[in-house]
Amino acid sequence: MSPRMRVRSSEAPSTASHGSSVRLRVDPVACDGVGICAHIAADLLTVDSWGYPILPAEPLTRRELRAAKAAVAACPRRALFLDGH
Amino acid sequence: MTNSPALHLVGASTPTPVTEILGDLVAFPRLGATPYLASDADDLEMHLQRYGPRPAASGRHGGELIMRLHEIGLTGRGGGHFPAARKWEAVLAAGAGGTVVANGAEGEPASAKDAALLQTRPHLVLDGLVCAAEAVGAVECVVWLHEGAQRTRAIVARAIQERQTRRFAEPPIRIEVGPDRYLSGEATAVLRTLAGGPTLPQLARDPAAPWGRGNRPVLLHNAETLARTAVLARTHVSDYTPSSLVTVVSHDRRVVCEVGAETTVAQVVAALWRSPSGRAAEIPHAVLLGGYGGTWLPWSSAASLRLDPSSMREAGHSLGAGVIAPLPSDACGLAEVAALVGYLADSSARQCGPCLFGLAEVADLTAELAAGSMGRAQEKALDRLLGQIAGRGACRHPDGVIRMLSSALRTFASDVESHRSRHRCLATGTRSPKSRLLPIPETP
Repeated sequence: MSPRMRVRSSEAPSTASHGSSVRLRVDPVACDGVGICAHIAADLLTVDSWGYPILPAEPLTRRELRAAKAAVAACPRRALFLDGH
Repeated sequence: MTNSPALHLVGASTPTPVTEILGDLVAFPRLGATPYLASDADDLEMHLQRYGPRPAASGRHGGELIMRLHEIGLTGRGGGHFPAARKWEAVLAAGAGGTVVANGAEGEPASAKDAALLQTRPHLVLDGLVCAAEAVGAVECVVWLHEGAQRTRAIVARAIQERQTRRFAEPPIRIEVGPDRYLSGEATAVLRTLAGGPTLPQLARDPAAPWGRGNRPVLLHNAETLARTAVLARTHVSDYTPSSLVTVVSHDRRVVCEVGAETTVAQVVAALWRSPSGRAAEIPHAVLLGGYGGTWLPWSSAASLRLDPSSMREAGHSLGAGVIAPLPSDACGLAEVAALVGYLADSSARQCGPCLFGLAEVADLTAELAAGSMGRAQEKALDRLLGQIAGRGACRHPDGVIRMLSSALRTFASDVESHRSRHRCLATGTRSPKSRLLPIPETP
């Protein structure tokens, strides 16, 4: 029963060389697990068995940033946000 | 103070207790904040006799105090062990006019160190609070307590009154209370309350400025951290004696002791732990270190650890809130763990999905494990859940529960196997062992 502490999928970029220093984050108090984010940015995030988003821990690439912005804009609870510049 | 001979550190290998901030050992019942033996709080006269007047900490003196905090590497004794000086600098940078809070709401059911400190040395904590306020340019001071901590509250209120009567030149100090819940002492829950919200944790979007955009800065420290600051303000760095307050938990009492940096887990356990069997010099099977969100370790790994935040860090562990809870060899660790996880899941603030739903599932599965009724599918489910919860709440509550449970599964690995495959507990030899060594408050 060894705990696997990292849940992030393996698609994360190994370097941020062609990326940003922006991270996608969620305020879990505001999040109600509506799940629109997972539809809009399916390549970027998944949801857990209760419907709450599991976000990439690493900074976003430029391509990911576009999808992340769309997900942030669509969140009906204003729970998703971008952190950093 | 406490004068029962049973409470004094005994034995050849036992070091002399340190009394930098706490006068003597203080013993508490299994649950509750009133010591067994009535101990007198230092009144202002006694305090001044013992420590002398509080040095100024405004302007240049404040800068010097921050330098000293850096030099001794003081870390937050509420359990997080964040460097104190860095907190002060962040608040200082945010500008004057803020609030400093002494957090004495000891949510950790096993810990009694902050109650012991506030009930015997209230003025030392208040001195630290005022020093911090002067150093960061704060205009008000708050002592944050649990509603039910009536004895502590009465003693702190009297101490504040004494200072007002003597017209001390210092910012006003007031007491604020939160509900008697595990998470009422969580830093962001305190901040949220002071900003007019409910006493519930919130996400600190900027960890360096947890008070939130537009709000006045708040410097929040555990009561012990502030008492250490008050001692440091009066001492040369070279004369400062590093020590820690620890709570040794037995089945029938908790004893708070101040120990030097060289003191080991084995030494305080030998001196202060009482095994339920009553046998002298019994060696425990394992130890829960830090608190209920801390780490279980086998006795062989824990015994020689030194009870000092930096030694603990170097060994890959944390002193946490200073709780040391030994498990006797004839008690079932998994039954204790199941009771703890159940309590901690019930103590969720119920705001964040992964904590609310995740911990409830983890608690059910852990209870099945302890009861010897866990199947393969459930074992897989638990394994998956252990990787899906930590880091996903607004506060660190779920992280602590997962850390504690994961460490228990490592520490009690052979017993996990025995509970699962043979449906029998290794320690007690029974099918469904009962817990109840560690104190667990009622949850509403």
